[in-house]
Amino acid sequence: MDLNEKELIANLKSDGNREKAFQQLVKTYQERLYWHIRKIVMNHDDADDILQNVYLKVWKNVDGFREDSSLFTWIFRIATNESLSHLQKQRRHSEVSMNDISDYLSDSLESDVYFDGDEIQKKLQQAIILLPEKQRIVFNMKYFDEIKYEEMSDILQTSVGALKASFHFAVKKIEDYLSKDSK
Amino acid sequence: MKQNEENIENLFEKFGNQQPFRVPENYFETFAERLKVRIGEEEQPHKKRSLFLYLKPALMMAASIAVIGLLVYVPIKKYFPESEGYVSLQQSDKTVTDLQNTISVPLDLISYFTEGQFLYAVTEMKAFEADTLSTKLLGEYIAANYSDFEIIANN
Repeated sequence: MDLNEKELIANLKSDGNREKAFQQLVKTYQERLYWHIRKIVMNHDDADDILQNVYLKVWKNVDGFREDSSLFTWIFRIATNESLSHLQKQRRHSEVSMNDISDYLSDSLESDVYFDGDEIQKKLQQAIILLPEKQRIVFNMKYFDEIKYEEMSDILQTSVGALKASFHFAVKKIEDYLSKDSK
Repeated sequence: MKQNEENIENLFEKFGNQQPFRVPENYFETFAERLKVRIGEEEQPHKKRSLFLYLKPALMMAASIAVIGLLVYVPIKKYFPESEGYVSLQQSDKTVTDLQNTISVPLDLISYFTEGQFLYAVTEMKAFEADTLSTKLLGEYIAANYSDFEIIANN
């Protein structure tokens, strides 16, 4: 935890500087958090809602932040949990018509007006969607965001070894899916 | 593991690692402002809602009582403009006045009776012709229905 972050946390916890410090926090992490959430839920509107909820939770609970991890790790953990809770809610709402969350994500991808990729990139996204939840998050964090395993381990509270294994299996499954699809 | 590294390289080569998604125009530029509004909204109505929530059970109970009262009162008022109880009270008052005018009954004796007992007595008396009603008959009726102790105690 560097000096700037310590100062930021101190300001977030003080009544006088709280709002200004919070604005700084939002500006610093909003893009990274947004893309992290977006890759989990796919849809822009859902990602926007979740990002707002994440910052709302930070605003309400920053006084209770114990500083045993970095601020970035703490907020990323909230964002991951909020995104997974959102998917669980979707799963509960459509329990009868949909057995797998991948159907919901696939529909979100198809109807997303903010998807900017070509057909090949869409195929990669389809392959990622089919991965189990944990493998999907690990793959996205490693492949797109290039987050180090140690940092990922703090955020996801999973051992480095388990993360490496998840990434290994994810890559293999994606390769299999793409090679089957190209035949 | 080596095979896996080759797979990753293949993926990078084929797809790159750029996000295939975009956001609405000025999304990140306006996000902080929208968030500020949202936080303001979340904090403001919370106080109002808590007061409403505090009063809600009492308001619900008052509303329920009012509805039940209306459901009972309106039909009674509509179909029975003068309820039975009200008529009997009026009749009893009227009867007492009539009786006081026509017969000489000690007032303290009348006040001793309950309303029901008195009405019963009056009904019995009406069986007689006005001119046949005498102090003797009334005395007999009282003697038959009440003990000496009750009568003496009342006097």
